Amino acid sequence: MSLELVCPAGTPSALRAAVEAGAHSVYCGFRDETNARNFPGLNFSPDELIEGVRFAHGHGTKVLVAINTFAKAGAMEAWKAALANAEKAGADAVILADLAVLDHAATHHPNLRLHLSVQAAAATPEAIAFYADTFGVKRIVMPRVLSVEEIAKLNAAINVETEAFVFGGLCPMTEGRCSLSSYATGKSPNLTGVCSPPEHVAYTEDKNGTATRLAGFTIDRFGAGEQAGYPTLCKGRFVAGGKTSYLFEDPVSLNAASLIAALAKAGVTALKIEGRQRGKGYVAEVVRTFRAAVEAIDAGGTEVEVGRLLAGLVEGGRQTSGAYKKTWR
Amino acid sequence: MAEHFRGELPRLLRLLAAPAGFLPLGPALTMAVRRFARRKPAVFDRLGDYGKCSFLIEPSDLDVSFLMVPDGTRAEVKCLRRRANQPADVTVRGPLLVLLGLLDGTFDGDALFFNRAISVSGRTDALVALRNAIEDAELTPADFVGATGGLGRLVDRSVIGGLGLARRFTGSPISGEPS
Repeated sequence: MSLELVCPAGTPSALRAAVEAGAHSVYCGFRDETNARNFPGLNFSPDELIEGVRFAHGHGTKVLVAINTFAKAGAMEAWKAALANAEKAGADAVILADLAVLDHAATHHPNLRLHLSVQAAAATPEAIAFYADTFGVKRIVMPRVLSVEEIAKLNAAINVETEAFVFGGLCPMTEGRCSLSSYATGKSPNLTGVCSPPEHVAYTEDKNGTATRLAGFTIDRFGAGEQAGYPTLCKGRFVAGGKTSYLFEDPVSLNAASLIAALAKAGVTALKIEGRQRGKGYVAEVVRTFRAAVEAIDAGGTEVEVGRLLAGLVEGGRQTSGAYKKTWR
Repeated sequence: MAEHFRGELPRLLRLLAAPAGFLPLGPALTMAVRRFARRKPAVFDRLGDYGKCSFLIEPSDLDVSFLMVPDGTRAEVKCLRRRANQPADVTVRGPLLVLLGLLDGTFDGDALFFNRAISVSGRTDALVALRNAIEDAELTPADFVGATGGLGRLVDRSVIGGLGLARRFTGSPISGEPS
């Protein structure tokens, strides 16, 4: 196996769907603010994780547990409990971002393999060396702001594995440092595990279409039949300078399937699919398609038409290779 | 208001389904949800307090709608005339076959929303909680009729096969295909 396919599991049934569709690894989180997909009804209880790990290992699949929010000052109990429960369940690695959580894991759970979350936004050899030397981090999930050429240079300068996002929701900001959701709602993926928490989201329909509101701010309006996107400020449509446009980023999904061979050549160890908030139907279909794409590349074959096969599942009905191909430079 | 959805039942089938409004669907569905809650309580644990919220399910191609409070073994489902203007915490509207596909996991809720195959309004947090709980429930047609064993498998095969044919016939959005 030249490339490891790391796949999302928001619920136990999604975990089973990912495993059965061919995931080499799945990643998931607990049902609290310790992970960056803390949505109502999503995620795992400690007992569900134990059962999920048992199922995944029975099929030869690894389980990585995301504990990737930043711990509250003076209130680290939930993050400590998450680390202990991940180890008890037999997780193959934990995905962390916060320095205090990393320190606690390295000190009290030395047998846990540590991966650095994209939320830590480590994109330089110096930052990565710090995490590797200080805490024994073995893998970095790379920020989605690097080009393939930059990834190749980075891999040549570090001695840990790298994991690159290849499909799903595209965060255009430097992750872990975005305050847009906090500004509007008081909650963020960094501290509470939710970008645009659903209790602040409202859709209203009138003769002009559907308006998306976040904490009272109208952030977009879709005409009848127009493709919709997630209700995040970074994908909002605003009027500036007399012109209405998506100021930060269009509603669009990342699809780097055409770059799988280039990412492998750049030294990437693992490919990550985003979407713990998505259903098991999505998970199964995306994982199956990407597994075929990875195996085709491994066998020296032609690329699988991932874009066409998954076109109906993507945000805004559009796909992009994101920063991997920085054509604007 | 988006009035037309891809994958709606053809007019003939709508006419044939019209008498459904006179059947005791509410009590039957109430019994089915309560029976399911006794068999799989973890699904309702996942819903938490959102189980006390009211969800108005409006098939855009039928003249009936369903008001559900999925409160475990105290769940209630009422069958309403379409234009009853019933207040609810959450309203979900779309073609019947698409809504059924959400129940059994055939369709991804986000993809249906992106493609505007369904419309939603009301408390988004309650809707997200219900969607995630249903996603994990792995509901099958047999769960609704309380069939188990060989009979359950027969019910599942028949209904799922029938729904698949019906979706192809009506042009319902198929997961993964562009709309």
